[in-house]
Amino acid sequence: MDRGWWWKFGLIVAVTLGTIWFLVPTYYSLVVLDRAERNNIAVLEQRLPRWAPPAKYRLNLGLDLQGGIHMVMRVDTKTALQKRTERRGQQIATYVNDKKLGEVTADTDPERLQLTLTAKDPATMDAIQKEVLATFTDFSLESRNGATLVLKPDEGQVNRFRDEAVDQAMLVIRRRIDKWGVAEVDVRKLGTDSIQISLPGRSNPEQAKELVGTTAQLEFRMVDDTNPQVFAQMFQQNPPPPESKITLVEDEGFPQLSSPNREALLAYAKDKTPEGRDVVTECVANPVKKNDCIAYRSYLLDKNVPLTGESLSGADASVSQMNEPEVNIAFDPAGAREFEKLTEAAVGRRMAIVLDDNVHTAPRINEKIGGGRARITMGRAGARSFEEWLGEAQTLALVLKAGALPAPVTVGEIRQVGATLGDELIKKGSLAALVGLALVVVFMAIYYRKSGLIADVALILNGLLILAGLAFFNATLTLPGIAGFVLTLGIAVDANVLINERIREELSHGKSARAAVDQGYDRAFWTIFDAHVTTLIAGFILFFTGTGPVRGFATTLIVGLLASLFTSIVVTRVITTYFVHGRNAQSVSV
Amino acid sequence: MQILKHKTNIDFIGKRKPALFISTLINLAIIVGIAAVGFNFGVDFAGGTVVELKYNTPTTAEQVREKAQAGGLHDVSVQGVGAAEENSFLLRMGGVTQLTEENAERAKTAIQGLGETRNVYADMANGIVNFRSTQPMSAEAVKKAVEGAGIGVQEVRDLGANQGGTGYDYQVVASGMADKVFAALGAGLEKPNFEQRRVDYVGPQVGKQLRNRGIMALLYSMVAILIYVAFRFDFKFGPGALLAMVHDVIMVAGYYLVSRREFNLTSIAALLTIVGYSVNDTIVIYDRIREDMVKYKGKPLPEIINIAVNDTLGRTILTSGVTALSLIGLLIFGVGEIFDFAMAMLVGILVGTYSSVYIASPLVIWLDERAHAREAHHGSKQEPKAA
Repeated sequence: MDRGWWWKFGLIVAVTLGTIWFLVPTYYSLVVLDRAERNNIAVLEQRLPRWAPPAKYRLNLGLDLQGGIHMVMRVDTKTALQKRTERRGQQIATYVNDKKLGEVTADTDPERLQLTLTAKDPATMDAIQKEVLATFTDFSLESRNGATLVLKPDEGQVNRFRDEAVDQAMLVIRRRIDKWGVAEVDVRKLGTDSIQISLPGRSNPEQAKELVGTTAQLEFRMVDDTNPQVFAQMFQQNPPPPESKITLVEDEGFPQLSSPNREALLAYAKDKTPEGRDVVTECVANPVKKNDCIAYRSYLLDKNVPLTGESLSGADASVSQMNEPEVNIAFDPAGAREFEKLTEAAVGRRMAIVLDDNVHTAPRINEKIGGGRARITMGRAGARSFEEWLGEAQTLALVLKAGALPAPVTVGEIRQVGATLGDELIKKGSLAALVGLALVVVFMAIYYRKSGLIADVALILNGLLILAGLAFFNATLTLPGIAGFVLTLGIAVDANVLINERIREELSHGKSARAAVDQGYDRAFWTIFDAHVTTLIAGFILFFTGTGPVRGFATTLIVGLLASLFTSIVVTRVITTYFVHGRNAQSVSV
Repeated sequence: MQILKHKTNIDFIGKRKPALFISTLINLAIIVGIAAVGFNFGVDFAGGTVVELKYNTPTTAEQVREKAQAGGLHDVSVQGVGAAEENSFLLRMGGVTQLTEENAERAKTAIQGLGETRNVYADMANGIVNFRSTQPMSAEAVKKAVEGAGIGVQEVRDLGANQGGTGYDYQVVASGMADKVFAALGAGLEKPNFEQRRVDYVGPQVGKQLRNRGIMALLYSMVAILIYVAFRFDFKFGPGALLAMVHDVIMVAGYYLVSRREFNLTSIAALLTIVGYSVNDTIVIYDRIREDMVKYKGKPLPEIINIAVNDTLGRTILTSGVTALSLIGLLIFGVGEIFDFAMAMLVGILVGTYSSVYIASPLVIWLDERAHAREAHHGSKQEPKAA
């Protein structure tokens, strides 16, 4: 046995042990834990032995196998754009009238997204045209006909608006699902105007549709700071039950209740809230995982809603001259009057910006704000970096716009699988895979005898490697994925058949056992390699163009082919070499 | 153990012409069939709603159909799933939302009855009725009016005043079809006597997108594999592999065409896997041809190919057999899509094996002959190549 062989043998042993070790979280989540806890990563983390890999490296079951809802929502960007163009038209008309350039009315063509300005006095049109085009640079001139001016929004602007509309819708959907308390949700952008949502364990598609389909509600509400100690008193007089995990925390001098469980927090505070006030929570974002709340904090808000998103005409994030990130907000004329009144009465108090019952921020009002333009300064205090503050400002601007200029979403696709059907499919699917595997294993052992058994060892290792590989990539096992698993095993066997047939052929040419094995492996190598690569190409294309279950199939296929290359070429060869070279055998059992 | 005891010497290449002829005939028939009859597109591609129900009392498909029709659902197809004692049914219908042409008209009338409205128009694809009212309206009232007309309403959206305050925009979003199904089947019962196991809605636009993406994926992978083969082997091997792939894909498509099984995303995955498998098989034989071309220099190509195909015949049969063996479990225990997937794979494996012998290999000869003929044509001016 030469040195190279021992190295390879060591590698195989290491890979095998690593594979088994890596499957520990998967084993715990699927076999040891109750079904209800299957997706609860925190519980899994607790139950796992200390030596096991982190809980996040476990094989997820697809929605088709565990039950749940998969949805694709299409953001109605057209309606959003139409609304924006209308608002912009209104701004232009106000601007023209304010500047005393003349008097115009603005009208929007919803089909073509064009803005038509009509002047009362045609004589003023030249001046209006010049001034408007110079000021509102996001519009260009389409045509001019006497007293009417047709403007169209700039192409780049339209695209930016469209992206923004999808981002807003995503933000709203994420926040709502968060509130629903579904573990392991997945919300991601699909194409240019769609959002894909996965809700494992949920079973009511109509409810889900309602949840993510309704338009966002933005409210400006005053924080009740008359008694800043209200939560502290509540906490001391009526200690919350320990299972609610409610703690008392302090934020900028204001005591707040905090709990990872939003429902428990609200239930606790419900009957202790003073008259005319509401407890509304804020999401404390997970610094590591984006769009995930690690805790919820309480705010005491006035029940009365003085201002809603409808009064808002725009919001943008920028950086001030002091190099501080800030958000500029603008109100329409009616909103501006209301806002002035509100700020005048509440200097020194905090005003909460609430989107869909979730407090986003509660800036302090420093002075009376007139003119319909306000600025929220993010500051640079605390442990956060400039980039983090800027990101915060951008999110807030997005929140404000989501409430002010909502983009309706409609259902593109919903797929719901009941939990019992999911369980049945897992049973049938794994039974099918096992039967296929068993048939192949028995056949190989009979047909190729000892070499067949070696191939079987490789095959089983291959199966484990696929599962571990999927767990490593955090991939999801779907029903078509199980089919992919079976197919990959078939391809892996093909490689062993190729090698063994070659060895037989070489033996029939009168070669010695050693030479036949070496030649067999060498000659079959490129054939196996080419065959795997071509299937891999199909797998990758499937992965990049497919969605949902098809993607699950592609992932399994890719991981399986890579595993198969390793087991059929390296593993079987090392074992065969041991029997043929190491034992100095004169014959090879094939 | 051995499947082929003796070295075979079958003249595959000699029979290439009738084989090619028959294959071409079948392929053309399938293409014509697809064009004329078309696939039985599943909800993935056609759009629509599919609901799977499991009754907890013995029920027949006929009873389910009657109940659905009594509830006003006329275009529903009901199909049993699995064994009869499972009492599971698949209900399929065209629409995604309850907004049909007829419903939209009724919704319009109901909305117009509420007050002065303008621009009432239905967006059928998204199941939304848009309208502008001169007066602000309560969403509740709109919902009630539309529901009164017999259309389930999921939400009434208040889009606010339009610019200049000349009107107020609203959207009425119709409920999904599944809702209506559950209402119809549960009518008259205190508690529904069934469990909803699966609900799929696919909007028509999404369906079209999914279909286009699926077809693009097929084309991309074929081109990518062709490039790989042309690069790894010789140019004259490329077209043969491509044609064999196309042949196999059409044959498997033929399975879906003839069996009337649902053609959906999983079917595309099956076709793509066949592309991978087909070329896999072809490459093994090509590899051997290439090897033998070096070994038996001077022998004519058809003879070399015959030797190569005969030498690899044992492994060709074995590999196909073993892969088919691994599919048996899926064929026995697989349900719905998975059964279809396994069946399509089986068809693919069989035709894939056949095509690598009878389609891919002969094409190499043909391309080689053509190259020689061209050489002979220009040959008078060139130095003859050393043999």
